[in-house]
Amino acid sequence: MARIDRRRLLKLSGAGTVAASAGGLAGILASGRAPAYAQAATVHWLRWSDFVPASDQLLRNKIVPQCEKDIGIKLNLETVNANDIQARITSAVQSGSGPDIIMVVNNWPRLYEASVADVSDVAEEIGKAQGGYYDIAQTINNVGGKWIGVPWAIGGGLLTNRTSWFAEIGYSEGKFPGTWEEYRAAGKKLKAAGRPFGQTLGHTFGDAPGFWYPYLWSWGGKEVEADGKTVALNSKETIESVKFAVGFWKDCCDEGGLAWDDSSNNRAFLSGTISSTNNGASIYLEAKKKPDAYLTEKGTPLWKDIFHTRLPKGPDGQFALPGPFTDMVMSYSKNQKPAKDFLRWVHSKPVFEQWFTSQQGYTDGATKYWEEDPVWNIDPVLLPFRDLPNVGRLVGYAGPPGRAAAEAVTKYIIVDMYTKAVQGMSAEDAVKWAHEELVKVYA
Amino acid sequence: MTFTYAAATPYAGIPRRGPLTRLLEDERWLAVALLLPTVLLLGLFIAYPFVKGVELSVTDAKVGVPGHFVGLQNFAQIWNDGIFHVAVWNTCLYTAVTTVFKLALGLWLALLLNNNFKGKAFTRAFILLPFIIPTVLSTLAWKWMFDPTFSVINYLLFQLGIIHARINWLGDPNLALISVIIVNVWRGVPFYAISLLAGLQTISPELHEAAAIDGARAWQRFRHVTWPLLLPVTLVIVLFSVIQTFADFQLVYVLTGGGPANATQLFATYAYQIGIGTGLLSQGATISLAVFPVLLLVVIVQLLYIRRVETH
Amino acid sequence: MIEGAIWRRWVFFYFPLTAFIVALLFPFYWMLVTTVRPDSELYRPWNAPNYTPFWTLHPTLEHVRDLLTETLFGTWMFNTMLISLAATGISLFCGLLAGYALSRLKFPFAGSLGTMIFITYLVPQTLLFIPLADIIRNFKLGDSPWALILTYPTFLIPFCTWLMMGYFKSIPKELEECARIDGATRWRAMVYIIFPIAVPGILSAGIFAFTLSWNEFIYALVFLSSPDQKTVPVGVTSELVRGDVFYWGELMAGALLGSIPVAFVYSFFVEHYVASLTGSVKG
Repeated sequence: MARIDRRRLLKLSGAGTVAASAGGLAGILASGRAPAYAQAATVHWLRWSDFVPASDQLLRNKIVPQCEKDIGIKLNLETVNANDIQARITSAVQSGSGPDIIMVVNNWPRLYEASVADVSDVAEEIGKAQGGYYDIAQTINNVGGKWIGVPWAIGGGLLTNRTSWFAEIGYSEGKFPGTWEEYRAAGKKLKAAGRPFGQTLGHTFGDAPGFWYPYLWSWGGKEVEADGKTVALNSKETIESVKFAVGFWKDCCDEGGLAWDDSSNNRAFLSGTISSTNNGASIYLEAKKKPDAYLTEKGTPLWKDIFHTRLPKGPDGQFALPGPFTDMVMSYSKNQKPAKDFLRWVHSKPVFEQWFTSQQGYTDGATKYWEEDPVWNIDPVLLPFRDLPNVGRLVGYAGPPGRAAAEAVTKYIIVDMYTKAVQGMSAEDAVKWAHEELVKVYA
Repeated sequence: MTFTYAAATPYAGIPRRGPLTRLLEDERWLAVALLLPTVLLLGLFIAYPFVKGVELSVTDAKVGVPGHFVGLQNFAQIWNDGIFHVAVWNTCLYTAVTTVFKLALGLWLALLLNNNFKGKAFTRAFILLPFIIPTVLSTLAWKWMFDPTFSVINYLLFQLGIIHARINWLGDPNLALISVIIVNVWRGVPFYAISLLAGLQTISPELHEAAAIDGARAWQRFRHVTWPLLLPVTLVIVLFSVIQTFADFQLVYVLTGGGPANATQLFATYAYQIGIGTGLLSQGATISLAVFPVLLLVVIVQLLYIRRVETH
Repeated sequence: MIEGAIWRRWVFFYFPLTAFIVALLFPFYWMLVTTVRPDSELYRPWNAPNYTPFWTLHPTLEHVRDLLTETLFGTWMFNTMLISLAATGISLFCGLLAGYALSRLKFPFAGSLGTMIFITYLVPQTLLFIPLADIIRNFKLGDSPWALILTYPTFLIPFCTWLMMGYFKSIPKELEECARIDGATRWRAMVYIIFPIAVPGILSAGIFAFTLSWNEFIYALVFLSSPDQKTVPVGVTSELVRGDVFYWGELMAGALLGSIPVAFVYSFFVEHYVASLTGSVKG
C-alpha cells in the first residue's frame, strides 16, 4: 500500500500544481492516504477544505513529504467542511484531546483563548522576518503582548462584476460607481435589464457579514464605542443606512438573496443571472478553471468578463471585512514543540511561497512581505485583493473583536437588522431591535 | 408432576439443572440478566453525559473555561431571549404540522400498500428511500431544488401555468417554514407508511370479511375494524416521531441555517448556534434542556393515553 | 384488491399510489440526472430557454468516476456498513432481551424502568455529543468505529425495546406456560418459543435501527478524524463541499450510491418479513 501511494504521490507532485489544478476534480482530491512512515514526531493539523482545491492538493502531495524530509515531522493533515470545524474544536477542547494545530477564521482565536498555547515566540519570529504583520492580524492574535495564534493568511471579499454589462451602462475601462448612490443607480438600470445585483441576507457566516458590516461602517454606524462596552448601534447614521438598504435592495438586488448561503451568489453569478456581488476570488477562479463550462450569453468565456472592485464609498468612508486565517496550537496538545517547529518551517519563505502561489491571489499573506510576491503579477484581475488587509476593519468596531463581537456575528444581529427592514419592519424599529440584542450580548 | 411426557416433548429428560439455570428461573433474576446490557450501555453513554449536560446548564461554562455555579441564571436569561421564543414557537408548529401530515399521508400510503399487486416487494422497499438516504445529502438536493435561481419546482409550476413569477421558497419567512415542513414530511412519510403497514398486516383478514358480510362499507370497516386495532401501533409511532421531530437539527441547519431572520430557527439549531458557534456551552446546554420539561409533559400525556388504550 | 369496477381500482388505488411514488421518488430521479449531467449544463437558471431538468443530452459518468476514484468513497461505504450492522446487532440484542423482560416478566420497578429507558430517548444528541467526547477519549475509542458502534445504540435501543414490547404483548402468555409445564426452563422457553414468533418485529426493528445508524451525522463528525475512518455522510460533505464551491455532480452521485444499495437489500427482507407475518397470523 505504501509503495503504490508513493508512486502516485511522486507522479502527481512531478506534474506540478498548475497542471494538477487543470485536471479538475481528479487532481484535486488526490486522496489523503499519507504514506505509512513511522517513528517521526506526529503533528495533527486540522484545516478547512480549501476554497482553492489546488492548494489542498499541494499540501497533501508536496508539503507533507517535504516536511518529513526537512524537519522529520510526520504531518497528519485533516480537512473538514468549514461549517463543521467548530463542532470539532468544541469537542476536542472539552475532552482534552484532538488535533494539535487547528486553523480557524475571523476572530475565533478569541473564542478559544483559554485553550490555546502561547505562540509568541513563533509569531514574533515570523513577523520580524517578513516585514511585520498587518494590523488586523495583530489585533486578533496579540492579546496584551501574548500571541494566541499564528496568523496564516488573510482572505476577504470584493465586488465581483461583469465587465460587459457595466460597460453597457456607461462604466467602461476602469470606471466604476464610486458612491452608494451611484452604485444604486447603476443597479437600477441593470435590474431593469434583467441583470440585478446579488447579495445574501441569509444566515451564512461568510458573505453576509462580509457585505453588511462594511456597509454599516461606511455610513458611520458602529456596534460599540471604543470602550468596548457601550452599545452605540442605535444612531442616526445606522438608521440612514437601513433606510437606504431597503431601497437599494428593492431597486437593485435579486430578492432571492434572502435565502442565499455562501455558495448561492457564486452559482448565480456563474449562471449569468447577476451582475455584481461581494465575494472572495472563488467565482473568478472557478470560471477560469473551467472556461468551457462557464460562458457569457454571447458564448465567450465568462472569466474574461469579470473585474473586481471595492465596495462603494459611503458618507463615512470605504471599508471591507477581511477574513483572517489563524493557526492555533492547542494547549491540550502533547506535541506543542513539534507543532511550533512545524509552523516555523511552513511559514518559511521557500515553503509558504509554494502554498501562496497555489492560491493564485485568493488570499493575502498575513505579513507584508507577500505584497511583493510575483503571484500578483500573474493576473491583473486579482490584483485588487492584494490591498485588502490594509483597508479592513474587524467585527465589534469600535471595540475590540472579542468574544462578544463573535457572539453578535453568530447571532446574525447586524445581518438580521437589515433583513427585518427589507421584509417590512420600519428602519427605526429594526435598529432598535438590533440595538437591544447587542445590549444583551455585551452585558 | 413434570416429567410424565418424557418421550413426547423435546424438553424431557433433563433431570438436573445447573445453579445458573436455577437462578434464571426466578423471574426477578432473569429480568436483571436480561436488562443488564441495556442498562449498562444506556447508563454509561446517556445517563452520565446527561448529568454532565445538566451540570453545564447551571454554570457559566464556556469552551475551555469550566465556569462557576450560577444556579438558574441561564434559564432566566433565555426566558427573556426573543430569539429563543421564536425558536420554541417554530419548533412546536413544525412538529405539530409535520406530524399531522406524516400520519395522514403515511396511513393512506400504508392502506394502499396493503394490497396485492405486481412488484409490491420492490415498491415497499424503494418507498423507504427518502428515509434511507442520509439527511445531509438529501437536504442538499432539496436546497438545489428550492434555489430561487435554479429551482426545478419553480420551472414545473411555471410550465403548468400555476405561477407567473418565481417563488422565493427559502427566502420568504413563511415559505421557508413551509419548505422545511415539506422536506420533513417527504422524509417521514415512508417511516410511517411501513410501520403502519406492519400493523395493518397483523389484522386478520377474516375480521374484514366478517364485517363485509355484515354489510359494512369500506369506510365503516376502516373506522370500526382497522383503526381501533391499529391504534396502539399508531400511538407508539407518533410518539417516537414527535420526539425525533422536536429535536430535528440536520434538516434545518443545512436547508436554511435558521434563516431568514430566524424564521426557521428551531430550538436544536439555536442551541447549536449558541453553544458551538459562540462557544457559550452553558447557554447552549440550557437551551437544549429548557424544552425537556415540555417534551416530557407531551410524552407522559401520550404514554398515559397509550396505556389507557391498551387496557381496553 | 379493491373490489368493484375497474374505474374504482384506478381512482382509488393506481392513481394515488402512483402519485405517492412520484412524489417520494422524484428527487431521486432528479439526483440521477444531476449525477450524469456535465458541468457545463449544471448552472442553467430555471427560466433559461435551454433548461432541461429532466434529461440531459450529454450524459457523462465522470462524476461517478471521480467520486469512486478520487475520494475514499468505497472505504466510507465499508465503514458505514460495518458500523451500522454492528450497532444494529447490539441494539437488537439489547432491545430483544429488555423488551421481553419488560413485557413478560414481573419484577419490582418494571414500569418505571421501562419509562426511564424511554426517557433517555428524549435527550438530544446535539447536547450529548460534548460530554460523550470526554467518555470516548477516556476509553480510548476515539477515531475508531467502536466509538460509534457503542454510542449509536443509545438512540436505537429505546426504540427497539418499545417495538419488541409491542410484539411480545400480542403473544399469548399461555405459550410459555405450556413450555414450562413440559419441562423447559424460562430461558429456553424464551429463546426457542417466543423469539421465533417475534421475528417480524425483529426484522422491522432491524430495518429502522440500520437506517438510523446509516443516517447519523454529528457523532460521526466529532468522534472520527482520519479520512479512512469516516462514514459516508461525513466524508462526502467534507470532501465535496469546499467553502462556497459545491461539487454537485459528485455530491449527488454520493447521495445515490449511499442509499440505493441499501434499498435493494431491504427489498429482500421486506418480502420475507411480510411472508412470516401473514404466516404467523394464519397459523
